[in-house]
Parts: sequence; C-alpha cells; structure tokens
Amino acid sequence: MARRQRLAQEAAALAGAVRGALGPRGGRALLVRATGQAVLTRDGRRLLEALSLEPPTARMMAACACRHRAATGDGAKTFVVLLAGVLGGLCAAGGGLRRALQAFEAQVLERAVAQGLRRHLLTALPGREGEAEAAALEALLEAYLAGRLGPGERRRLARLCAEHCRRCAPAAASRPQALRLLGRRFAELHAAVAGLPVASSMVLPGLVLRRDFATYSPAGGELRAVLVTEPLRPALSAPSVEFVVDSEGQYQASLQWITRRTEALMKHLQSNNIKLLLSSVKQEEAVISYAKLYGISVVECLSSEEMALICEITGVSPCAPFGDNMLGGITETAVATFCQPLLLGSKRCAHIGFTSVCTFQPHCLILCGPVDSVNEQHAAALQEAFIMLQQLFKTAEQREECKAEGESRSEALGVCSWPCSATQTQLAIENNYCNSTQVPEGQSKAHRDGAETQIVDPDLHGCDNPVCVQTDLPVLSSPILHIKEFSGATEGDGSSRGVQEPHAECERLGAMHLNCKSDSLVDSQKHHSTAVLACNANAGTACESLGAGKDLEKTSCNIVPLKQGESCVSTAQNYSGSLIKAGSVLPVGGYFEVLLHYYIQYYAKQFQQSEVAVVSNVVADALLSIPKTLYGTTEQNSFTKFYLRAINSLRKNEPLPMNGEGLESVYCKYHLVISVLHCVTELLSIDLIIGIKRPLQKAEDYDSENDF
Amino acid sequence: MSRLEAKKPPLFITEPLTKDGVSQSLSLLSGILKSCYGPAGRLKQLHNGVGGYVCTTSQSSAILSRLPVSHPVLGVLMASVQNHVSRFSDCGLFTAILCCSLIENFKSLNIASCTVIKISKHLLSFCMDYLKSEACGCRVAVDFSSVETLLCLVRSILRSKPACMLNKTEVDHLTTLIVKAFLFTVPCHAESNAVLGKCVIVPMKGRRVVDSTVLPGLLIETPEIQLANPLTIKRTSSNTIKIALFCVSMSGDSFNPEEGTITVHHGISLEMSELNQLLDVGKQLVNDEVGLVVCQKVIHPSLKQYLKENSVMAVDRAGLSLMEPLSRMTGSKPIASIHLLSPSCYGSLKDVDIESFASKNFVHLIPNDTLVCSLILCNRNETAWDELKRACETAEHVLQLTLKEPLALLGGGCTETHLASYIRHKSCSLSTSSFEDTDCSQAEYQLVAEGFCRSLESVARSLNHDDGEILTDMVYGHCWFVPPGFPPVSNWSDLVSKCGCGINGNSENLKWRLLQGQFGSPVIHDCPKEPLVKIADFLTLDCYAAKCSGLQVALETAHLILDLLYVIKDQN
Repeated sequence: MARRQRLAQEAAALAGAVRGALGPRGGRALLVRATGQAVLTRDGRRLLEALSLEPPTARMMAACACRHRAATGDGAKTFVVLLAGVLGGLCAAGGGLRRALQAFEAQVLERAVAQGLRRHLLTALPGREGEAEAAALEALLEAYLAGRLGPGERRRLARLCAEHCRRCAPAAASRPQALRLLGRRFAELHAAVAGLPVASSMVLPGLVLRRDFATYSPAGGELRAVLVTEPLRPALSAPSVEFVVDSEGQYQASLQWITRRTEALMKHLQSNNIKLLLSSVKQEEAVISYAKLYGISVVECLSSEEMALICEITGVSPCAPFGDNMLGGITETAVATFCQPLLLGSKRCAHIGFTSVCTFQPHCLILCGPVDSVNEQHAAALQEAFIMLQQLFKTAEQREECKAEGESRSEALGVCSWPCSATQTQLAIENNYCNSTQVPEGQSKAHRDGAETQIVDPDLHGCDNPVCVQTDLPVLSSPILHIKEFSGATEGDGSSRGVQEPHAECERLGAMHLNCKSDSLVDSQKHHSTAVLACNANAGTACESLGAGKDLEKTSCNIVPLKQGESCVSTAQNYSGSLIKAGSVLPVGGYFEVLLHYYIQYYAKQFQQSEVAVVSNVVADALLSIPKTLYGTTEQNSFTKFYLRAINSLRKNEPLPMNGEGLESVYCKYHLVISVLHCVTELLSIDLIIGIKRPLQKAEDYDSENDF
Repeated sequence: MSRLEAKKPPLFITEPLTKDGVSQSLSLLSGILKSCYGPAGRLKQLHNGVGGYVCTTSQSSAILSRLPVSHPVLGVLMASVQNHVSRFSDCGLFTAILCCSLIENFKSLNIASCTVIKISKHLLSFCMDYLKSEACGCRVAVDFSSVETLLCLVRSILRSKPACMLNKTEVDHLTTLIVKAFLFTVPCHAESNAVLGKCVIVPMKGRRVVDSTVLPGLLIETPEIQLANPLTIKRTSSNTIKIALFCVSMSGDSFNPEEGTITVHHGISLEMSELNQLLDVGKQLVNDEVGLVVCQKVIHPSLKQYLKENSVMAVDRAGLSLMEPLSRMTGSKPIASIHLLSPSCYGSLKDVDIESFASKNFVHLIPNDTLVCSLILCNRNETAWDELKRACETAEHVLQLTLKEPLALLGGGCTETHLASYIRHKSCSLSTSSFEDTDCSQAEYQLVAEGFCRSLESVARSLNHDDGEILTDMVYGHCWFVPPGFPPVSNWSDLVSKCGCGINGNSENLKWRLLQGQFGSPVIHDCPKEPLVKIADFLTLDCYAAKCSGLQVALETAHLILDLLYVIKDQN
C-alpha cells in the first residue's frame, strides 16, 4: 500500500512539473544546461529529461511518456497528467485492482470507443481535396503547435508549415511521401535566422545549403551540376604511397602535370556545360581558382546528409572524375533552375533550385526569431508536427498501393472460406480491398493470425484476438521485439511461407499500426468461419473502418441493413483493432476526454460492484483531469460549464457543442490512454526495486523511431 | 539515459518573473540602457578592475557584449538584442529599452500572460500595418535624387553616439564623408541584380577627426616603399596598368602538406627548383606586360628584385580581407598556382599612387570603376576611434538598408509618441469582433493597449536625461522637450520651439500635454495627423527597416519572457 502511495505521489509531482506547460494556455520553460546554453521548450520529453529524476519508478514513468511521444510525435505531458490521475485514483480505491485493469481495457474501454466514441468522430484528410484539405491541415497543425509554441507564434507557423507541406507536394497523392521526407530531412530543409521577427519567416523554393560558395560565377537560366566526394586536384603522394624525386626537372614536371590535369578537368566540366560543382570535401585553392576561371561555381564541405538529400531529390549519384572516363561524357548531372548566393542574416548561403525527379518538390523553410533558442524550439516542434501528420496520411497511401496491386482476391478467398453465401460477392470485393493492401502481407497476416489465436485462445468467439492486436500497439515502437513476435507466430503455425514477409514488413515500421488494423480485418474473417452469427455485422463495420474508395462505400451501404438486422454486442470487440478509422479527428479542447469519460461510465454500469467498475470509475475520472488542466488557468468554473454542457447534450443525444478551432488525431489520443494503462500495469507489477552500482546497458534508443 | 550520475539536482524555478532577483536585475539593466540613449546619453566605462583595455561607450552592441549575465532570463533578452544589432546595426538601444519596459508594464497588469500576448500581438499588427501604409504620419520617403535625407540619417546616427566625442563641424565633415563613400559603392550601371561595392575603413588613430578623408580604390600599407622615388610602372597600350593577383604564397616554400611521403634524392634542392619556377613566373609576368603584382602572402625577395628591375611593382602581404575587394575592383581572378598562368586572370587599374598619412605609407590603387573605396578614419584616441568606427559601420549599413527600402522614420522620440497616440486612438474605436479574435474582454484590451503605449512613450522619455519636462502634442502626436528649470505649469508654447525630430515648429496651438510616467490621465485621442511639410533640412531621422524590426523583435522577446513558466537550471 505504501508503495502504491509513493507511486501516486511521484506521478503527482511529475504531473505538477509539466502541468503548467500543457495545452494552448501553457507557458514555456527555459532549460539552462550545465554548459550555460539556454534552451526554450514546451516539449514534454525535454522537460522530463531536464528534471534528471532520481527515483527509479519516476524515471520509468518519464521513459514511458517519452516512448509514447516518440511513437506518435505528441502527448508526453498529457501522458504524465493522465498517469498521475489514474495512479492517484487507484491508490485511493484500494489494492488488488491490477488484474481488473486488463479486463477493463478489453471489456469496457474498447466497447466505449467502438460503440460510443465512434459516432462522434470526424474525418480529416482522406477523400478531401483542395481548400477543405488545406484548412484541415492547418487546423491540425495549429492545434498541435498550440501545445508546443507560444501564443503569439503558433498561427503564423502553422500557416507556414502547411504552406511548406503543400509546396513540397503539390499533388495530394504525393503528400505522405513528402511528409516522410520532411520529417526525416527537416534539418536540411530548413534554415534559421536569429534577430529577425517571426513574421519574416518564409518558404523558399529550392534548397538552401548553409555555406557560402567557394567561388560563384553568375549563370542565368537552367544549369547543370555535378556532385563529387573526393579532391579534384591529384596529390603527389597519398597515405602509404611514396613519391621519389629523382631530379628537379621531374619534380617540377609532376607539379605542372597536376596543375594541367586540374585545369583540364575544369575545362572538361565547362565543355560539358556544367556550371556548378558540389563537393563533400574541401577542394584545393587551385581547383577553386580554375573553377572561377572557367565559370563554374563551387560549393564545398557539404555534409553527408545534404549530399544524401541532393542525391535523393535529383536522382544522381556522386561522380568520380578521376577514373578513365575523365574525358568521356558526364552522365550523372543534376539540373537546377537557378543557383545564387543568399544572405540569411549575416550568413551567406548557397541557394540552389534543384529540379526534382520525384514527386517531392524541394522547398526550404526559413525560420526567423529573435534568438536561436526560439528557432530551435520552432524547428523541433515543426519536425514533430510532420511526424504527427504522417499518422494521418497513411491510409490514403495504402489505398494507392492497393489499387495498384489488387490481384490477391482468389488467394484471399482461398484463405478464408465463407459460410454466408448471401453476402459473399460483396464481401469478396471488400475482402479484395482489405487483403490487397499488400499481397505478401495478406498471406503472412493470415498465418500470424492463426498462430495468435492458437496461442491465446484457440476456440473463442474472437474476443481475445483484438486485445492481442491492441497490446501490440505500444510495442510497435521497438522493432526488435516485433520481429521476434512475428517469427514466433509463423513458427507456431508450422509454415515457412510467410517468414520472409514479416521481416520485410518490420522494416517498414512506418506503416505498422495500419497493418495492425488490416490484421484485425483478417482476424474477423477468420472468426467468421467459426462464429457465423457475427459475420454480417462484422463485414459491414470492417468495410467502414477501412474508409475505402467510392465503390467500396456503395458496398458498405448495401450491407448496412444486414448489419442493423444483426446487432451483436460481442462483435464490437472483434473489430476493435480498426475501431478508429485512419484520419479520424476530434476538435481540440477536451472533447475526446469528456466523450470517453461519458462512455466508459456508460458501459461500466453492467459491471456493478465488480473491480472492473471501480477501475472504470478511476480511469473515467482521471480522464477529466486533462480538460481540467486545460481550462485551469482561465476563469474559475469554465471547466464545469464546458463539462456540463457536453454531458447534457450527450444525454439528450444531441451533437456536441463544438467551437471548431483546431483538430487532433483520435488515434494518438486513444493510443495515449492505452499506453498509460499499460504503464500503470507495469508499475503496479513491480514488487522490489534493487539498486546496483554498475551502469545498466541501455537497451534501446528512444530517438531512433523518429527517423523512419 | 545512460549518463553519469548528476551530482546536484537541477534548480527548478517556477514563474521566474515574479521573483525579486529577476525584477531587480531587469530594472537595473533597463536603467543602464535608458541612461545611454540618445545624443545626451551618458557614457559607460567598462573595465575589468585589473587594468587593461577600458571601453568608454554608449552603444548597445559594445555594452551588451561585455556585460555579464546574472540570470538566464536576462540572457534571452540580451541575446535577442544582440542578434537584432548584428542584423541591422542600428536601433539596439531602442529595442532593448522597449523590451524592458514592455515586460515591466505587462507584468504589472495582473492579466494572464497568454491574453496579454494575444492582445499585444494584435496591437503590434496595428502598428506594422500603419507603418507600412501610405497614410503613416511618422515616416518620410527618402529621395535619392538629393543627398539631404541621406545626410540627415547619417547625422542622426553620429549625433546619437556621444562617446565619439565629435563637435558639430566634425559631425558634418564625417557625415559628408560617409555619404560620399556610400555613393562610391553604388554601381554606376544599373543591372537587374546589382551588388553594392565595399567601403574599407583604414584606421588612423591619434589624428584630428577633420583629417579623415575618403578615397576611391584601395590602400595597401607598404612600409618599405620610399616616398621620394618616383613611380615607374609599366603601362599597357591603352594606358591602363595590368595587375596580377596571387592568392598563393610566392616565397618558394609552397609544399602542400599532403599525406604520404616524398623522398628526395641527395643533391636535389626542391627549394632551388621552386625558386627557379618563381623566376619563370616573373619572366612570364614581364612578358605579359603586367605592371603590378599583388600577393596575398609573401613574395620571395629575389623575385621582388627581378620584378623591380623590370619596372613591375610588387606588393605583398595584402591579407585575405583585401582579396575580395581587390578582385572585384580590378576584375582580376586570384591565381592559385605558380605553375600555370592564364592571361585571362589579369585585371586592370587606372593608376597607382603612393599616399602618405601620418607616418604610414600606402600604395593607392585607383580603379577604373569606383565600386570600392577607402575611408581613412581619424580620431584622437583609441577608445574614441573604436566607437567612431562602430558608428561609421552602422551609418553605412543604415544607408544600405535605406537603399533597399527608401523610407525613414522620424527620430527624436516622435515616432514613438506618434505610434502611441495612434494606438490609443485605434484601441478606443475597436469593433467587438477584435475582442472575440483575441479572446478577451474590452477592459483587458484597454489595459494592455495602455501598457503598450506607455512602453513606447517610455522610450521617448528616456531620450531626456535632465530634469526638463517632456510633452506630446494632441495634433501630430510628436514629442517635445522642455529645457530644465521651468515649473510644470508654464505656458508650454513659450518654452518649446521644435519637436524632437524637428519637423514641426510651435507656430500653431498644438494642445500640449505632459508625457508622464505611470499615471497618464485618460485622454480622448483623435487620429494623429501627418505633418504638413514633410521635407525639411536638419531632421532627425531613424532607419526604417531597423526600427520596424526592432519594434517587432522587442515585442516578441517580451512575449518569450512573459511566457516563461519555469526555469530549470542544471547545476553541475
């Protein structure tokens, strides 16, 4: 009991430390490093790290929060506040509730989400075009940035970020790919200027390389560029190469040969109409001076990240002009529409408008702010905003793929035999859509599925399976674990067919959580063969949950009556893996929490007196602590007003009173609740803390997931 | 985190602004900066107490870079002002003082910082829209067909730096020189993307300021040249001088520090062969009719001698900083190898001369095109010279910024008071939708607007360091200074003759009122009018770009600091 109290106290202290920075009215923190460097931030992860916590359990809480943030790009502070609420509630409610947590998750939470919350969800991006989509993008960004930036800057930056995103990917179809690239290469795709007002920030076409031209020769119109990775002036000697001088004449001749050779090379570049030389290494004076003579601009000392980005965008690889092909044609050339010096603050940069060979149109975001630490804060927030946005775009992306290779219909049918012949054709179409997301994936999933059902519960009516998928979700952030699980699953099935695919899939961690959703679809098909009753309803919801194209929607319309005809409560659990459509959003400002609070209580009623009911009440109350914090700093009873208004309209079955300011992703929010519950279970399971002197090996790096 | 165990827990300060220490250091900093502001500003002497260099200054860049930071919150403020100064050179004190008084004023309001930030952001957008609009009453257009406005701008900058120790004639002399030097750097032939030339400041300490002068072209200090010997330099047929510019050492020691080994057989001297190569270069230079050889590094004495015998002038140790303007001015390309000379590398000069200032001899390179010029800057002592150099650089930068955006703001506190009365007028006549926009009540909006205006006015007030009163008029909203020693109930029109910027005289009854500190009486404000005559001599003008940006940066920095909720300090 004492331990539980201690946990609650620790969590409450942590929550107290981050609470002030939560939400749109939160303030920011100035972190002063031991070196004296000042960092401005509202990032939960940085705050928690800066606290350098002492107690091991508190460190574990912070680590869980950070892990959650790394996976979804958001929510470390909310995590801590919710965790404190749940732990405090459990502590007050008394012991022995650890097991009830799992039951609560399976029996109440999922039902609350699937049957209650679903009705209120809005969809953000898929299927919307032009103006509406741009507005949704901005609303999402603004709501996200409201938690990360000061009140004066967020609107301007949200607009800039949305513009950056739109201009990098003018076509909506290429946006997921662009977002991935932006998230990964944001360091190279932005530049910061200190000492200017934030209002001077802008999006520039092309790339800005943050170093000056070694030599610049103005060139109008379209120009060609080459990339090199080695010094262009030959050296007399190299490591482990000895140069023997026989006579003065020989020495002079060699030096002259080197100079001639350098000149010839530059002449050759010029004759190939190359106007720009991009080098990852420092070039000799002689090279620069001959480049100037032959009208070639040179940028040197490019970082490997910049080189990689240029290669990615232009599709060329660095050439090695020293080989025998020196006088041959130069094939690997990038094309740029312009190339000019750019003065950013007092720093001279090279501004190059590369022509892209892929759908990504390179644009550079110039961030201005009064001090460097503000710019760093903005850059970090924007980069994570791109990670957050990726989560929304993914379905759209998968749908593209599925249209491209929708050939696995027969195979899918082979896997699942459908006893319900009336809806078979329609379901088959669906089935096609579900499974064809990726052909090998479909197969492997079917296998994995079988394995899991075997492991967990071979002949149940499908209730445990979704739980299984759910428990996967937090684990997604650690690739190693996942691969293990996959191979285990395939072995369990006794088949070697799917062994390659799961591994390939694991590398594509980015799309992972979606795969889980489609997993459960296949799950449900599997269960149809055992539980025929659930079949029709299941099919209907499955179809809806994928949010597929138009013709698919028609199909789902056909099925709807069937679904209504057979409303089986237990099926709700069946599709909980896909219970939140990709792209689902809710307005910001505590709506998610109030809705979930209401529905958890609603569905907990049937468990009178049991432990599950106690846990349900605890979680439902803890959820309210988030909107309480959000409204905390304004007038006294504004939270109560908001709460009563929302609950009243829910009781009367009216639409919620919403002031559509910004949107937030429901998937991230739901994931947060699940992660908190798991963290609580984990914390309550610890019975002994052993202090050791030797440093423990760090098992995983929390940052690494940012880079997929 | 696998990190070494922290020795001390971090220091966690909530709401740092409410702590006494921070407010005290903030008001101290604000006091230091306010007392430096303007032509009558007091000087600060910075020294470290154990001897050495003493800096006497009133410039923000010099003070802020040397002041120790007592608290990280102040560090943010100072860094932000320094960044502003490094972008614009000018209006550093304005930004710093405004930022400090914004923080002090907003902090005393007792309104949630989030609301304050939203409202003041709204007010700032009013200011910026007004400053950008044609109807703006506190800006003047800069006419480049006459130099008068440019002279006003430069004069205002020099006058506001009392540590330069200049009297009126000296200010006028230097003003003319700076504008002249700036005009040299503007290219004669307009192109689509013309680049300004460069003005190189040549230090000449211990001389009278009026000895300063500006020369077209570059000066390279050459101690060994005798003034007595007449110059004999080879000229080309078109009566110009061909120049070769080397950026590689010509001393015969140019071995590349490459990796690997070079084995030299006995009896072979690489130095000898290098020297022979150099002499070959010399021969080629003579054959190519080169008249002047300039080397960034050192030229071997025997090559020098050879060149001299062939009446080719050789100047070495020019230094890296001169290479770019030299190359620009002469059109020559720096040669990086002594093994292969390409005739297309050579540039040309109109003339070469020997100039002598004080005890120093210079080679004066006179170009055909005067894009590059040299300002020989004299002042009596070292500290005053440093201050003057900073002032000259500021003035040059301001002129460049003005060329980009041909506008200037009225100085002498008039822009600040004018903006304040505009904001007062604007915030009184605001529609309810603006309150909804910023999510606040009208009372809150009025309070924040009042704080904003008071902060602007406090910048104008800090121009005055004597006991005299400061007034503002109700017609133009300009700033007027009353000489000290008059009771505050006098008839103001007898005491003031001109407003701070000098654009308005007291010819009409302008309904003056006191520009007071904390207790401004509520006044109904009309929109301040534009002055009737906009062009007058001897106006005090400020750089438009620098002041606009300074205003924004000051407010944004104040926002940053007001928004601070925690300071977490790692104490290891």
